[in-house]
Amino acid sequence: MIITDPKLPDNPIVFANEAFQKLTGYPRDELLGRNCRFLQGEDTDPDAVDAIRRAIARGEDIALDLLNYRKDGSAFWNALYLSPVKDDQGRIQFFFASQLDVTARIDAHSRVARQKERVEAEVEKRTADLRAALEAQKLLLHEVDHRVKNNMTMIGSILRLQMREIEDPRTVERLRAMMERIDALATVHRRLYQSDNVVRFDIGAYAANLAGDLVQAADDRDIGLVADLKRAEVSPGQASALGLIVNEILTNTIRHSFRPGDSGQIGIHARTEGGRVRLVISDDSTGGTFGDQPPSGLGGIIINRLSRQVATEVTWATDASGTRVDLSINVEAP
Amino acid sequence: MKRHPGPLDFLVVEDEPLISMDIELMVEDAGHRVMATAVALDEVEAIPDDQTPNVALVDMHLARGSFGLEVSDYIRARWPDTIIVFVTANAREIPDDFAGAHGLISKPFSSAGFMAAMQYLEEGICDPPPVSPQPGSFVASKTFAESWER
Repeated sequence: MIITDPKLPDNPIVFANEAFQKLTGYPRDELLGRNCRFLQGEDTDPDAVDAIRRAIARGEDIALDLLNYRKDGSAFWNALYLSPVKDDQGRIQFFFASQLDVTARIDAHSRVARQKERVEAEVEKRTADLRAALEAQKLLLHEVDHRVKNNMTMIGSILRLQMREIEDPRTVERLRAMMERIDALATVHRRLYQSDNVVRFDIGAYAANLAGDLVQAADDRDIGLVADLKRAEVSPGQASALGLIVNEILTNTIRHSFRPGDSGQIGIHARTEGGRVRLVISDDSTGGTFGDQPPSGLGGIIINRLSRQVATEVTWATDASGTRVDLSINVEAP
Repeated sequence: MKRHPGPLDFLVVEDEPLISMDIELMVEDAGHRVMATAVALDEVEAIPDDQTPNVALVDMHLARGSFGLEVSDYIRARWPDTIIVFVTANAREIPDDFAGAHGLISKPFSSAGFMAAMQYLEEGICDPPPVSPQPGSFVASKTFAESWER
């Protein structure tokens, strides 16, 4: 600490303790009689100096961090506290000033500030990089999507053209089933890439979409469609397999629950229950031959094998009101 | 009110020959006629004056660097009454107002989906408004519904 006397010209130091001598490196005889400003140097903040000057002129307290210089020229941060000492009449007798070397604290501060700046700059750069990568990925996704769509269209066209050349009705029937499977996959792909979000796939909306196409194509049967669709999202990895399963169930129902000339109704109900998605495909036909059981042949194999692949239980039930196929899909399966 | 007896005359603008042929045959299966096919704008321009399509099915990316949107603009200018339907895997390139066109069939289309769209189109053109519900395979612009009011 030091004491200065404002009654003397230029408010000189009139007392300096040991600690102050140690802190500044000046012996007492080099301190006494001098104004404190000699401790300031090149990088001392002029605003801080002004603030001190104003406080002294007004006879007020002030506390601030000030960059000071030792006798050897090294700088240190001085946590300065300065206050006037007044007599009974309120006149200022002395100024009392205490100093504390807070260089370590200030350095840590500015180190943290510098580090923060560096991190922020780095984050900004990486964000820009990520944004560019995301853009590139989106472009690539669109490009791949476009090519897949064009190729699937081509596969469909080739199959349809080939089918027109075949006369044997049994072969035509099988090719048609093949065609429908390709169409089902195409529908899955189309729905999956409808938006930029290829993260979830709604199996209920897909089933209703496909059923709409299929009943309209079955123009020798008058089949209505009733859909009750709540959110029923499965992962994109399950989409193709489930799409094929639903296609087999729907084509089997339309073809075998109903006979040509029949009229009736197919219901599609979808909802999410805990970690499972439930999809129910029902019909109100009682006259069909094989509509109440899993299809035979490749259709049955597809349902059987693919349902295991995508953690799905398929159950068939028939009563007086018709047939229902119940799919319980574990959407949290790895 | 019945305003067109059918069958309808189709123009198919598609640069992929197998897909074009497939579409042509499905249009005929639906009971209509394909009066012309084209792979690019210049072939549409070359269609003789005595021919007017009722429906144009137009892909987006065509041969020789030509685009579905310019074909659509050309058709609208030359045959204002023609119903224009984009058939494309590039649905996201179609502006929100369909640039004055009437609808969209997304690729890849299924046989059933394409035929359902044909049925809906026929009802909307020959005897509007359509009695069938709009199929999932067909997206209509508001211009299509407006054409029923004419």
